Amino acid sequence: MELHILEHRLQVASVAKESIPLFTYGLIKLAFLSSKTRCKFFSLTETPEDYTIIVDEEGFLELPSSEHLSVAGATWLALNVVSGGGGFSGSQPIGVTKIAKSVIAPLADQNISVFMLSTYQTDFILVRERDLPFVTHTLSSEFTILRVVNGETVAAENLGITNGFVKPKMVQRPVIHPLSSPSNRFCVTSLDPDTLPAVATLLMDVMFYSNGVKDPMAAGEDCGHIRFFSFSLIEGYISLVMDVQTQQRFPSNLLFTSASGELWKMVRIGGQPLGFDECGIVAQISEPLAAADIPAYYISTFKFDHALVPEENINAVIGALKVSQAEKH
Amino acid sequence: MSGTKPDILWAPHQVDRFVVCDSELSLYHVESTVNSELKAGSLRLSEDSAATLLSINSDTPYMKCVAWYLNYDPECLLAVGQANGRVVLTSLGQDHNSKFKDLIGKEFVPKHARQCNTLAWNPLDSNWLAAGLDKHRADFSVLIWDICSKYTPDIVPMEKVRLSAGETETTLLVTKPLYELGQNDACLSLCWLPRDQKLLLAGMHRNLAIFDLRNTSQKMFVNTKAVQGVTVDPYFHDRVASFYEGQVAIWDLRKFEKPVLTLTEQPKPLTKVAWCPTRTGLLATLTRDSNIIRLYDMQHTPTPIGDETEPTIIERSVQPCDNYIASFAWHPTSQNRMIVVTPNRTMSDFTVFERISLAWSPITSLMWACGRHLYECAEEENDNSLEKDIATKMRLRALSRYGLDTEQVWRNHILAGNEDPQLKSLWYTLHFMKQYTEDMDQKSPGNKGSLVYAGIKSIVKSSLGMVESSRHIWSGLDKQTDTQNLNEERILALQLCGWIKKGTDVDVGPFLNSLVQEGEWERAAAVALFNLDIRRAIQILNEGASSEKGDLNLNVVAMALSGYTDEKNSLWREMCSTLRLQLNNPYLCVMFAFLTSETGSYDGVLYENKVAVRDRVAFACKFLSDSQLNRYIEKLTNEMKEAGNLEGILLTGLTKDGVDLMESYVDRTGDVQTASYCMLQGSPLDVLKDERVQYWIENYRNLLDAWRFWHKRAEFDIHRSKLDPSSKPLAQVFVSCNFCGKSISYSCSTVPHQGRGFSQYGVSGSPTKSKVTSCPGCRKPLPRCALCLINMGTPVSSCPGGSKSDEKVDLSKDKKLAQFNNWFTWCHNCRHGGHAGHMLSWFRDHAECPVSACTCKCMQLDTTGNLVPAETVQP
Repeated sequence: MELHILEHRLQVASVAKESIPLFTYGLIKLAFLSSKTRCKFFSLTETPEDYTIIVDEEGFLELPSSEHLSVAGATWLALNVVSGGGGFSGSQPIGVTKIAKSVIAPLADQNISVFMLSTYQTDFILVRERDLPFVTHTLSSEFTILRVVNGETVAAENLGITNGFVKPKMVQRPVIHPLSSPSNRFCVTSLDPDTLPAVATLLMDVMFYSNGVKDPMAAGEDCGHIRFFSFSLIEGYISLVMDVQTQQRFPSNLLFTSASGELWKMVRIGGQPLGFDECGIVAQISEPLAAADIPAYYISTFKFDHALVPEENINAVIGALKVSQAEKH
Repeated sequence: MSGTKPDILWAPHQVDRFVVCDSELSLYHVESTVNSELKAGSLRLSEDSAATLLSINSDTPYMKCVAWYLNYDPECLLAVGQANGRVVLTSLGQDHNSKFKDLIGKEFVPKHARQCNTLAWNPLDSNWLAAGLDKHRADFSVLIWDICSKYTPDIVPMEKVRLSAGETETTLLVTKPLYELGQNDACLSLCWLPRDQKLLLAGMHRNLAIFDLRNTSQKMFVNTKAVQGVTVDPYFHDRVASFYEGQVAIWDLRKFEKPVLTLTEQPKPLTKVAWCPTRTGLLATLTRDSNIIRLYDMQHTPTPIGDETEPTIIERSVQPCDNYIASFAWHPTSQNRMIVVTPNRTMSDFTVFERISLAWSPITSLMWACGRHLYECAEEENDNSLEKDIATKMRLRALSRYGLDTEQVWRNHILAGNEDPQLKSLWYTLHFMKQYTEDMDQKSPGNKGSLVYAGIKSIVKSSLGMVESSRHIWSGLDKQTDTQNLNEERILALQLCGWIKKGTDVDVGPFLNSLVQEGEWERAAAVALFNLDIRRAIQILNEGASSEKGDLNLNVVAMALSGYTDEKNSLWREMCSTLRLQLNNPYLCVMFAFLTSETGSYDGVLYENKVAVRDRVAFACKFLSDSQLNRYIEKLTNEMKEAGNLEGILLTGLTKDGVDLMESYVDRTGDVQTASYCMLQGSPLDVLKDERVQYWIENYRNLLDAWRFWHKRAEFDIHRSKLDPSSKPLAQVFVSCNFCGKSISYSCSTVPHQGRGFSQYGVSGSPTKSKVTSCPGCRKPLPRCALCLINMGTPVSSCPGGSKSDEKVDLSKDKKLAQFNNWFTWCHNCRHGGHAGHMLSWFRDHAECPVSACTCKCMQLDTTGNLVPAETVQP
């Protein structure tokens, strides 16, 4: 297995819902006019609480500096796991589940805080730049660690530094944060960048004007329904996470979907904002899922974490996590 | 493709068809229009071809890539990769009852939709189709489909979505690929490796990977940015090109760690890179917004072993049309032909003209190559109307040992073929110079000798300022009353001209006799007349008229001559001075010019260019005053120098002036051979050091080497070192002892009192003397001959170990060869060796080293060892 340390230097920021008009100019440029910027990594996630923006340094310059923009005070680096050997077995666990054991748990053991971003194409594990020596040290036994420099991958040097945390013995990691599961059914999808202009206005509407348009069906009947939409444009690849209602607004045949038409349900983690310093949150969720061999997407935002699991597995997931939660007490 | 830029593909088998694809597929048929008019509706592609649109297929929206089925198919079966990752088989044929009927419309669907970037049909199993897709977190990016896979339960009829056609039939979808590779990665380009059906090269997200389907758990890969457009050289299956932005990388799959070379980076990003299928090592590249196609010709030059020199590349560009080019495609069979398409879908049929390479052989034949054709241009053997090329002449002269006769120097012109009067004059001049220098040196070993080689110009100059010689008196006809009082310099000049022999005797008699003998009656008569012996002149002319080869008219001339009168205004004078110009022979002409001239004014003689320079100079020495003579010689010298006339060497001698003259001669003729031999003949050191002279000599040596006249070259070197001691090469190679590292010959020379020379080691001296078998420095034994096992330094006595009996006879017969057989020689690769004779006979029958267990193919490593000197081949 290879672990690629990408060259993007990322900022994680949050914009309150009501302040979003201040930033739409920059965000539209980043999302739809990528050729006009030097930004290579951009992600925008709307939750009921806020907008979370993950953007590289070049893209960050497109956003106006404002008191309405809360920035997590650190530069983040994205890690990407690549199955370098080209393993060939159809039933490999996918997504976060795959890397739970090899990346997330060891980092949690070393008290290294991570920030997850799953996309249609891959999973990014964001770590603070200052933690990088500990990360490479922790993971060097498991992975060939490569660094991307000017688009070319080169071997990363292992600095051999630890942060003093001794690897504890296999301890149970109970789920400590409250969980909730909205009623939305989500799809994770993508589209051909060439067709992006055709749906740009629709996307803008979905991204920025969701509050104005009340979905009568959703709002009226289902109080468990939440607002969640994620758009990312990373190295030319577009990834979208939206609920089925939103998806239906798009022309058919435009969005990339899986042949099986799978749909996902969400588990939201956290009763109050999680912050950036607590470690092991992702591990708490992903380890039980990995144990049950359930695929998952995991999207961290400024305040809460979100895991997406296949809809047919949602009850099993909730059950497993509840058990884990109960062990705490 | 979807959008603005059309792509273009030639049919792999029906070579007159091609497809242009942008939002739809358009099939065209190419026709030659050489003998016919352009048909209505067809598009002109070039001066002699046009295209007709056969059909259009717009069944497949969102096309991203297209690949033509590689087996022969009359229906034009194409695989189309779409933006959602599906691969659709479609056709442009009209006949829907073909054997491909089942295939057309078949779709291959990946588990997760994303763009299909590239398609590649397997060249060995025509049913295998590889598709390269964008990244998905949980899916594979390289899917290999078997288009004939039987319909398994995996295949579920689904509602078919077609945007254009209103077909309602259901299509069978295939969702189970044969192989899935490259999990959680993106594939940007693909090509199958012709080495094996199951080897696939893929340009992945950040690396090039070779997948081996026999063992899918492993892949060979190299991290690089150059992952676009991987393509295998059809003529050299280990060579692969790929690109990234403006840079093309060329890879050797046997040494996959890094590109063997990268081509010059282009300012604009590349869009297509393709090897020419009809020509080895020719790569065409196209960049965005460009109207030229750049071609890289990768030459196969053998590089020395272990040397990491990059192969030679010749870069050039062609401009098939004025507009920007959207895409191009090489024709699969027609040599160097391609078709290009512009963004607005105009097309152009274009053939890249092959570079012409040209080579002269060192013997006169000329070869040139263009494309697959090789032309040879050889000199016609029997055509004597044309003068032979100087290279041919020099070669023949080298074979006849031209220039090497240092005793009878004049004979060299005979060796040169006795056909060039200038060479004749040159070698006679050099002969006389040599002769009189020796004379002078015997008489008075002063500095006069060197003056001879400095030419008449210098000789005459040296006499300037001396007492003016008394004027000769013209004394009528009856008797030669020669009272000319020629000074020493003039006599020397006349001697060099050949008029008089050595000694103080000024009689021209012997010279006249020799001319008469050679049948040069006119010249002899003129020389006699110039020596004021008109009777002898008349006598010679009569002799000439009566001889077999002579001209009867000479009698008439003799008659006219006898009518000579001193009277200034006589009729005779008048007639002679006008009619002489009608005489063909220059000597007859100057005779009358002389007789009718005013005293002291002999321009009619002096400037008659057809008369040999030596005769004119001799005449001038006889009749001109010192100042006149000086001026005349000066003028004539410059004339000769300018014309590069070798007769002028008489005047300039072998001085800097002579080099100037020779320079214009070489410029005119290219005859470095004559120039080299002439300059070596007696030039002072500073003249030999002249870089022009050195240049001629080096070129002549190279020429001899190029002709494989190695023995002649060696002969020339020996000749050169005799005449120019400074050119003797210093010893460059020494044999050193394995143990103490001292030179064997060096340690000998440091103990001169022992009187041992290098000869004792069997290198050059008499073999019987050599007894030394150990290093004189450290007394350790010298290496042994691998065949006879006797130490180096011991002469080869007999030939043990597989030598033939006839060789012994050879050795005893030819002593020189026997000496060479004693030399020690060794292979520079394996370091084994022995007596040269033994080695030669061993390698006559063997390829490998004589030392057992050594597998070195010593003789084959010697590139010149197998060449034969050309002289031995020559008749």
